[in-house]
Amino acid sequence: MMRDFMSRMDKRLRDAGLLLLTCIALSAASGAVQADARVHVVVIEAMRYVPDVIEVNAGDTVVWKNKDAFPHTATAGDRDFDSGSIGSEHAWKFKARRKGVFPYVCTLHPTMKATLVVK
Amino acid sequence: MKQLINVAQVIKSIAGGVFAIAATVAFAQASGPNDAQIAAIVVAANSVDIDAGKLARSKSKNKEVKEFAQLMINDHTGVNKQAIALVQKLKVTPEENDTSKSLKSDGAATLKKLGGLKGAEFDKAYVANEVTYHQAVLDVIDKTLLPNAKNAELKGLLEKVRPAIDAHLQHAKHMQASMK
Repeated sequence: MMRDFMSRMDKRLRDAGLLLLTCIALSAASGAVQADARVHVVVIEAMRYVPDVIEVNAGDTVVWKNKDAFPHTATAGDRDFDSGSIGSEHAWKFKARRKGVFPYVCTLHPTMKATLVVK
Repeated sequence: MKQLINVAQVIKSIAGGVFAIAATVAFAQASGPNDAQIAAIVVAANSVDIDAGKLARSKSKNKEVKEFAQLMINDHTGVNKQAIALVQKLKVTPEENDTSKSLKSDGAATLKKLGGLKGAEFDKAYVANEVTYHQAVLDVIDKTLLPNAKNAELKGLLEKVRPAIDAHLQHAKHMQASMK
């Protein structure tokens, strides 16, 4: 009887231990993703995007800051993202969820081109 | 045939006016404008193109020309706002000079000539003027304003604005080519 009791306790302890470990692992994993998501800045100035090629991880945020005296946009080829008009001294945030290479332009000033790479 | 000749003549006289500006500036370059005079030249140059843009926006029936005109209004208004904010910060009063006055009077003359045109003739003449005008402004920036600007922030503003003028020039040239 004692042996049965002990073996049942062992099993319960083992299951509880496994459950506890799983919870710890999951919370650690989700905590790690939140801690790693970063914010990247692209400055729009003197008719250029700086940097003109930016590499980010999926889940990161990109902020375009317009330091020119007049509006610009950040518009991807297939409209994967489109800031619309970003006024002078204004900014636009975009959460890069999808992986890929996204060339983009300013629709107001077609000579302005850059690329967003999401890994 | 007669219509074509008239438009060509108008374009030539507008271009002639713009080259007169360049000549005036070249002469002024001998003594070199000071920062207060540079500020007045910048404001005048922007204002002239804003006015031309407003005329084109109201007169043209061409979508691309209207969009370009609106871009000129937005961009040059923005630069003027920044230039005026800077001179206020620096406690500099823009000083009218021969160059700024020429820009304004030639600009007014151009508006009058453009005002007499309509339809495709207007569009062609407006775009041709934008090409010539932006090239002339680029030359003024490179040959006169940048070399003579003393204040670092004023110089910085000119350096930042230069690529915008160049972008406008390229845009206008592209439109001109597609209108031939």
